[in-house]
This record gives sequence, structure tokens and C-alpha cells, in this order.
Amino acid sequence: MSVAAPEFTLPSVTGGSLRLAELHADGPALLLFVSEECPTCTLTLRRLAPIVPDLTAAGLKVAAVFEDPLEVAARVARRTGFAGTVLSEPAPYEVSGAYELASLPTLVLVDRSGEQIGRVVGWNADALSELLPVSVTDDPPRRKPGCAAKNTYDAASLRALDGAGFDELEEMFERGWTDGLPVIPPTRDRVEAMLGGHDPDELLGEMAPAMARVTLERVAACAVLAGCRPEYFPVVVAAVQASLEPTFNVGGQAVTTQPVGQVIVVNGPVREAIGLNGSTGALGPGWRPNMTIGRALRLVISLTGGGFPGRLDRSALANPGKVGLCFAEDEEVSPWEPLHAERGHSAGRSVVTVFGADAPLSISDHRSTSPEELARVLGEAAAVTWSPNWWPLGGTSLFVLCPEHARSFAEWGWSKQQVREAMFEAVRRPAASLRWGETTPLVQAAPDDQLVGKWSRPEDIVIVVAGGEAGRFSAVFGPCLGMDAQPISKEVPWIT
Amino acid sequence: MDYVSPFDERRRLAEPLAPRPAGLEGARIALLDINKRRGDEFLDRIEELLRARGATTERFVKEIFSKPAAPEIVRRIANRGDLVVEGLAD
Repeated sequence: MSVAAPEFTLPSVTGGSLRLAELHADGPALLLFVSEECPTCTLTLRRLAPIVPDLTAAGLKVAAVFEDPLEVAARVARRTGFAGTVLSEPAPYEVSGAYELASLPTLVLVDRSGEQIGRVVGWNADALSELLPVSVTDDPPRRKPGCAAKNTYDAASLRALDGAGFDELEEMFERGWTDGLPVIPPTRDRVEAMLGGHDPDELLGEMAPAMARVTLERVAACAVLAGCRPEYFPVVVAAVQASLEPTFNVGGQAVTTQPVGQVIVVNGPVREAIGLNGSTGALGPGWRPNMTIGRALRLVISLTGGGFPGRLDRSALANPGKVGLCFAEDEEVSPWEPLHAERGHSAGRSVVTVFGADAPLSISDHRSTSPEELARVLGEAAAVTWSPNWWPLGGTSLFVLCPEHARSFAEWGWSKQQVREAMFEAVRRPAASLRWGETTPLVQAAPDDQLVGKWSRPEDIVIVVAGGEAGRFSAVFGPCLGMDAQPISKEVPWIT
Repeated sequence: MDYVSPFDERRRLAEPLAPRPAGLEGARIALLDINKRRGDEFLDRIEELLRARGATTERFVKEIFSKPAAPEIVRRIANRGDLVVEGLAD
């Protein structure tokens, strides 16, 4: 018993629309319901392509109905050499539904009166040769099942398949693989490129609070998410290795109510190799390696390590540097020994040093006329960090001296150690003046007139040089306290 | 799409809770001070209340509040106590 072929009007790749009635107005029509994703559909189009002229000559109109957008239909028709009519059926595939398609390809033969007089599902050479006036090829396979027709898909599957409504970047947000900014999806290809042939299963350590196994592959995934280029990866790896040292206490830093983030200072040849900025705007945006390397470490800590803000990271206010903060020391401009050399590494090696630190505080000074005066200005800026009356800090203050301040000290003939000691000596107060609000046990116990310094020892003052050539603006980072968190240096394991 | 997860996807089995004691009379209770300011004040009061209910108490102190307790302290608490009270503070 024949069944009426449901009427349709669909857009054609040659422009305009075509009605079914036009296809069978002068004779029978063969409808090929196909889609790009289905290999059997591609096979069917390739196998029928050579006989389309013969079928047309025999009075049969051949039309492929793609469950794909027009441009996809046109591309597939071109690649398969299919020269019949090409139509595009939009989601939600109501025409396919009207034809009650279960799978693709489905070939429907419609006679001149609009009745369905034959149907072949999947690739079936024998059935087609019987149905059509021209034989199809004898090449194997003779039969091949197809794929589900899209009208049978649920809405979510359709979105994932077609890309309609599917957005990779939004997918990352839905998975929670982000710090709140857009990320680069860590596809396997991208992660492999990041790894650069290094063993993905290499274990760098376990990271608290999740006690997660931090493998190179997971670090690479975070580096991709952060937007790193593969040549930045060894710097990220060194920063992660440094953070995993027990004396850095990354687990404590990750969950504390303090605002602490992790600051990465990079020294050595890798700075130039990857274009890491240590000059104008070194602590801010504008340079991809600076922005993404710091962010990659933060993603390792907050995603892999489990210290995600608002969950196990209980930082009361946090600070903008917790997005990630990485910069180069400008060794070429600095008059002094670079940080990594001070910390025992060969000056020619590439080294990262990680610090637990609060946001940087800018220190402007354009008028000091002696090294003692400038050292005091810099040191006094740090007097208010953590709390104005928490003396001594019992932790590290990281100072970033701008080139002009550093050059002034050099012109006065001062070494970095002299600057450090002058700052240490200059910032002192009588205990009585600090005994208000919350203060330290040391201040509480000290005689009123005993001088208490902001630092317990000069070594708690760390100085690096970075920044633009003009502008007397240095900075000091607030400390990370109560964590017993030491600055840690690690050599960059390789340079690409 | 095949993405590489940044997470350690190992499933962790939840540790079963230790059996709850029927009462405090005669219980040995470890009081762990995490070494944050005023935590001792909290534990002093807890200790008073527990002793009044017939428990014996023993105090332990972590080296620093922001790091896990030393394995030796955990071992001693596990070996010698029926219960543990950990005092957070600030």
C-alpha cells in the first residue's frame, strides 16, 4: 500500500526553495535523507554520484535532503561529487519527522502522483538496484547500516552535535574549569602541545587541600586553560614545583582567610626566551607570559589543588593579584646582583622564585636627596602592611624597586644589602606607640621605650628591580603571615 | 569533545565514622590546640566541662595552626584517646 509523501518546502544550495511537488511534477523523484556526520551517508552519496546523470536521463529527479545547514550540505555534495538537487533541512527536522525516519541514509522513491512507492534504509546495493532503473555499483560493501536520524535526537544531543547553542567557552564555565574569566578549553591536542613530549604522568607531588596528585598533564591542562603558550610551560612547572615544597605551605595559603596570593619572580635567560616583561607595567596587564603563567599556577592551586575561592579558599577579601601574578626581574637594568644569584643559583640559570604575598602597595618618591632618606621612605611604606601595629611582621616583605630608585642608590654607591639594612634600621617604633588595637606578643611584653622594628631580621626584606625606565614608583607586597611560608626558588627544568 | 581534566579524578571512599560513645563517664578525651590565639581559652572551658562529666582529658598542641598536625601527634591521639576535640580560634 502506498502512502502519500509529506509535502515540504526546503531551501536549496542553488538559492531559493524547492517544493516536493516540483520534484515529482514530471516524473518520479528519489529523496536521499542524509547528514554530514554519518559515514554511510557519505558512502551512499559517493556511490550514487556516478549514476545521477543516468537516473536523471531515465526521468528520475534525485534530491539529497541534508539534516545539516546549507553550507555543510553544499560542502558534502561537492566533496562526494553528488550533482543532484541539494536541499537543507533545519533543526528540529520536521520533514524527517513527517517521513518517520529512524535512521540515515533513508532513500524514498516518490511517484509522479506524490505517493511513496519504495524505501531503502541504510546502504543496500541489492535493494537499490531493484528499486531504481539504473544499477548501482557492485563494489563492496553491499550493505552498511547508517546512523540515527537527527529528528530522533533529544534537544541536548542536537546541541552537542550541531554546535547550535553549544559554546566551548561556556562549557568551561559550566564545568567550573575557570577562575571566573574565559579560559582556553584544554583539548587533548592543546595539552599534548603544552607537554611538548614530556611524560604526562610525571608526578610533581600532592597538593593540599584536595591532596590531589599533581601530574604534568594536569599542570599542562591548567596552563592551557590559563592561555599559556607551550614555551611558557617549563616556567609554570618550576613555579608549581616550588609551590609544592613543604616550606611554602601552599595548602595553608590556599585556604586561609588572609588575602594571600602567589607571586612569581623570574630570573635568567628564560625571561627573554618567552618575552616575560620586567619593564614598563611589569606588575600589570599587557603581556601574555606575565598574565598567563601566574594564572596557570593559580589554576593549579584552585582547581587541581582544591583551593577554590568561596569553597575551601576562605579568603575574606582576597586581592586582585590572586588571578595570578608573574613578572621578570629586570636584571639588565638593575645595578645589583639578581634575586636568583642572591639565593644561591648561578646567574646564568633560569630560576623562578615564588612568594606568598598580599597585593602590592605603590611607593612614590621623587624628592629624596640621600640613600638614608629614600631607604626610610621605602621601609615606612611597609610599616602599615598586614596591620599598622603588627610589629615585627615575622614574615617576608617583597620590594620591587623601580629602575630610577635603584639607580639612585647605585649612584650613591649603595649595595642592595646596604639598602636592606638601612630599611631594617629605619623602621622602628617604641613599643608603647604600637600597643593599641591588635599587636604582637612581643610588643605587649616589651618595656614602653623599647624600640621594635617592622622586621625581625634584614633578610626578611627581599629586593628585586623591575618597572619602567621613567617614574619613581616602587612597590612593596604585603606579607603572608602565620603560614611559616618561605619564598622558594626552583630552576626552570627546560627551555624550549 | 575530549578535554583533559585539571582535576585528580580519583574517587575517594568516605571514611566510616568511629562508633559514638554511650557517655562521657570515664572517657579519655584528647584536646587538640591548633596553636592559634585564644584557642587555649576555648579548650580550657571545654576541659572543665568534660571533667565535670567524669571524663579524663589530655592536651595536645599543633606546631603551627596552618599546617597539618605532625603524624606523631595524630598517632598519640589515636592510641590514647576515645574522643578528640579540636579547638579552632581567632
